[in-house]
This record gives sequence, C-alpha cells and structure tokens, in this order.
Amino acid sequence: MLFFRALLAVAMVVCGLVILVRMALVLPAGGFAILPGVVLGGAMIALGVHRLSLIARVRGML
Amino acid sequence: MAPGSKSAEPELRRSVTPWGSFSWGYSDVGADIFVGLGLVLAWAAGASNVAFLFAGVVYVCIGLAYTELAATYPVAGGGQYFVMRGLGDIFGFIAGWAVLLDFTIDVTLFAWTSVDYTSQLVPALTNSVHPWLHFGVVLGLVVGLCLLNVIGVRESTTFNGVVSALDVISETCILCFGFLFAFRPQLLVHTMQIHWPSSYDLMLGTSLAIISFVGLESISQAAQETQRPASIIPRTSVALILTILIFALAYSNLALGLHPWHPIADAHGHPQQFWQIFPNNPDNQGKAVALLAAQVPFYGAFAALYVPVLGAVLLLISSNSGVFGSSRIAYAMSASNLLPSLFARVDRRYRTPVISIVFFSVIAVVELIFAAAPALFPAVSSLYARFFHGENGLDFLADLYAFGAATSYSFVFLGLIGLRLTDPLSPRKFKIPLNLPMRFRGERVEFPLVAVIGFIGIFSILMFTLFTHPLGRIFGPTWLVLGLLFYLVYRRYRRLPVLRSQPRDWRNAQTEILRRAGELELMDEYVANVKASDARRAGQGT
Repeated sequence: MLFFRALLAVAMVVCGLVILVRMALVLPAGGFAILPGVVLGGAMIALGVHRLSLIARVRGML
Repeated sequence: MAPGSKSAEPELRRSVTPWGSFSWGYSDVGADIFVGLGLVLAWAAGASNVAFLFAGVVYVCIGLAYTELAATYPVAGGGQYFVMRGLGDIFGFIAGWAVLLDFTIDVTLFAWTSVDYTSQLVPALTNSVHPWLHFGVVLGLVVGLCLLNVIGVRESTTFNGVVSALDVISETCILCFGFLFAFRPQLLVHTMQIHWPSSYDLMLGTSLAIISFVGLESISQAAQETQRPASIIPRTSVALILTILIFALAYSNLALGLHPWHPIADAHGHPQQFWQIFPNNPDNQGKAVALLAAQVPFYGAFAALYVPVLGAVLLLISSNSGVFGSSRIAYAMSASNLLPSLFARVDRRYRTPVISIVFFSVIAVVELIFAAAPALFPAVSSLYARFFHGENGLDFLADLYAFGAATSYSFVFLGLIGLRLTDPLSPRKFKIPLNLPMRFRGERVEFPLVAVIGFIGIFSILMFTLFTHPLGRIFGPTWLVLGLLFYLVYRRYRRLPVLRSQPRDWRNAQTEILRRAGELELMDEYVANVKASDARRAGQGT
C-alpha cells in the first residue's frame, strides 16, 4: 500500500514538472497568464514531496 | 459542550484515523468544486483561473489558520469557539451565526446541485425544463436529510472514506487524461488574453471562487474525534489543503485551455470553447465537472456515465454535513451561552438535538423557496430581474454561501491573532509560518503575519461579495442583524453580560481539552508554561 502511495506521490511530482515545463514553453506569448498554471505545477510538486516525506517518516528514513 | 462552560457533556469517542480525518474534510470541501467551477467560469470567463488562484491563496491562509487552531484547541465548536476565546462572546456569536448561515445554505445548495448532476443522466430533473419537479426533489432531499438526522442516522466514516477515495481517484484520472490529451497551453493563454472579464465580473467571479474552498470547519469538527489531534491534524490538513487547491486550479486551467473531445457549437452552429457553455446557463453551471469530464478524450466516454452519480453522492454527503453541522454548532454555541439552551436540548427518544435540526432545516427550506421562486413563478422572476440584476436560484444560494464564509473566516483570522496575543502559553505543535516575535503584556508572543495577509484577502472577498451580489448584499447582513438582535435580547433575558464576555476559566479549560485529546505531553508543557508565567509575574510583583 505504501509503495502505491509513494508511486502516486512520484507521479504527482512528475505531473507538476510536466505542467511547469509546458507553461514555461508559452512564457514568451503568455507572460502573466501562465501564473495560475505555474502555481498549479508548484502545488502538485509540493503535495508530492509532502506525501513522500510522510512516507519516508513512516519508513523511518527521516 | 464548549470547555469553559458549566454543564456536563458526554465525551465524543476519539476514533477517527488520519485517513478518516482527511476524508471527513475532503467530503466537505472536495464537493465544493462541483458547485463552484461552473459559477466561476460563467462570470470570470478568461480569468477564472486567476479568480481561483486569488481565492486559493486566501484559502491556504485560512486552512493554515484552522490547522493551527484545531491542533491547539481540539474542540468541535470550530470557528465560533476560536473567535469567542480570542475576541470575546459577541464576536464568537457573530462568527458562529455566519457559520450557521453557511451550513443552512450548504444543505440547500448542495442538495440543489446534487439534483443538477443527476439531471445529466435524468434530463427530466433539469431545472429549466421542469422547475416544479426539480424543486420537489430538492425539497424531498432536504426533508429526508432532516428526518435521517432527527432519528440519528449519520453517514459513516467508512462510507465517507470510500466516496472520498473514489472521488480523488476519479478527479485525478479526469485531470491526467485532460492535461495529457486535451490541454492546450496556447489556447489557455489565448482565452485569458481575449476573454478577460470586466473588473466587476472578475470581482464577482473571485467572490464565487471562495465557495470552492468552504468547509474548513470540518477540520475542527474532526479534531475533537481524532486521537492525538495535535500530531494528526497538521499532517492531514496540509495534504487536504494542497489537494483541494490543486483540483480547483487544475479544473479552471483545464476548462480554459481545453480542446473539447466533441465539437461544441452555439445555437447558430458556431464553434464554441468549452467554458463558453456556462455564461447565462444555470443548468450547465450546476453540473460543470460532469460536463468537463465528458469532454476529456478517451476517459470521457466512461466518466460521462459515473461522474454525475459520484458528484451527486458527494454533494449529498456535503448537504448532510450541513444538517448535522448546523445542529452541532448550535449545540456548542448554546453550551457557551451564545444561544438559548433550547438548541442543546437532546430528544429523549432519538437522543439527537431535534429542535436544532428541525429549526435549521426549516431555514434551509425557506432559502430553497427564495432560490426556486424565479423559476417557479414568472412574476417573481421579473421582480428579481428588476431589483436583483436577474440573479437565479443558484446565484442566490452562492451569494449567501460566499457571504457567510467570508464573514466567518474574517473573524477566524482576527481570533487567531487575538489568541496568539492573549494565550501565548498554550503549546502550538503547528504554527502558521512567518511570525513576528514581540512582547505583549509581559509575555513573549509571535504575531502571525500570514493571518494579516489572509484577513486582507478574505475581507476583500467579503467586500467583493457585498459589492457584486445584489441578493447577498441584502440577505447576508439581514441574517447577521437579526441574529445579533436575538443574541442581545437573549443575553439580557438571561442576565448575562450583553456586550462583554462571560468570565471563564480558560486555563483549566485548556488543561481539560488537552487531557481529553490524549495530548498529555502538551498538557504537561502547558501546565509548566502557566506555572513559569505565574512565577515570573510574582517575581516582578515583589
């Protein structure tokens, strides 16, 4: 179960990174308009990292 | 019973696990996006994601504030308890009364949208097609939930957990498929640049966006029934806050940058973007997530079948939490002498607060009648068009929901600041970040800067609500004024301080709260802090 949760958390971080990269690609045309997408990507990475840290704590790695 | 009051109370069993705590909050707050998305897209158009971003930042501040308060004071009273303790009885009453408005609206609004989602599969339930049938079904749901709560049937934590898990998985799938196969960043940027709304509509959209983040009371509700809440609540709350924020931002960005799976055309056959199906269409506004799910490539074929059902169930759970929550808040307020003891009276046969449940359900029904009137009676519709900018039923409910939430959250921020200054001795296992160390009345305190930022944000949303919602502007303050008059008369009748607070022994109350929560280390730390503070003061006196 913990393994699947960790997998989901990693997927969340990857999704966040993908969104960040895709939004960064339209930066020249978008400017300020990419901000909500950037925050979304950032929040996904934060949630993924938060969950990974909780899992690491449960496993006694932190 | 709120600690600090005199009467005895049977304790709630602390049996909620970390996942139970998360799912409790998720079933309350997670359902909000099902309601909020369509309304925000209808008004904020190309700036919907910005509206959600602004409301989302405020929501993160609110979530952090609730997390700190619920972990420090794990009692079920919620916002009204924190505000009463931080600012005094009368402000506690105002915050609690605003929360009660939200809970009664919650009952009607979520039952209404639950029927809207069902109408995606059963078109006869569409409000604009058969308004009387729609009204009848919503009324039946509200009355049914009231009866279930009267006889003491509650949704189980397990059921909440299963529905929440299914919904998290479902929404994740919709968003993954959507962002992978249908999201066009260039289209998003184009929409934002071409369809940016007027300042008035942006303010209106932002005030509606906050309804996607209402229900954080559940964090404190769960705190009283969670073991070791000071440790568990911060962990689950941070995950809950981020999950809800991600879903709201993801849906709004996806909706604006979505390349629909099936072409969408207007009445004249011109192609439309997905978000353009929401303005001036209350039927679509009430089932936005189901409509979006159906437009996601591949997965949409399957999602179109189950998302309306899942949405309807989740919304019904949220509606039930309104019936249950209003009676529980009224019970807590009554125990703190903010409301008459009538609201805390438990029926001998059913062992539930019947009077409280029926009273607030009746208010929910009155709100439903106001909301449904324009669709049911053409004469009322023209009246609304003349005096209230033609607001429809869903707008009416959303107006009041936003008003109640913004008012109570504003006071919670002030309550947090007040408690940081007046109760620095309570151990805080979780503190919101960005604190300014200072001295207040001889004690070292930390002033929470995030609470100030959050207060400015939520207060501006309250101003947006009052400025842009003709119905909310009238009915929201009327609710508060009527409640305040009731409070003043009640306190005078009971010969209690009317404008001042009733004296309470908060130190003993806090020790008792921590003991009941099983936070014995924190209780010892609190007692040691109190002794050290007293010794310091005695030393200064001599």
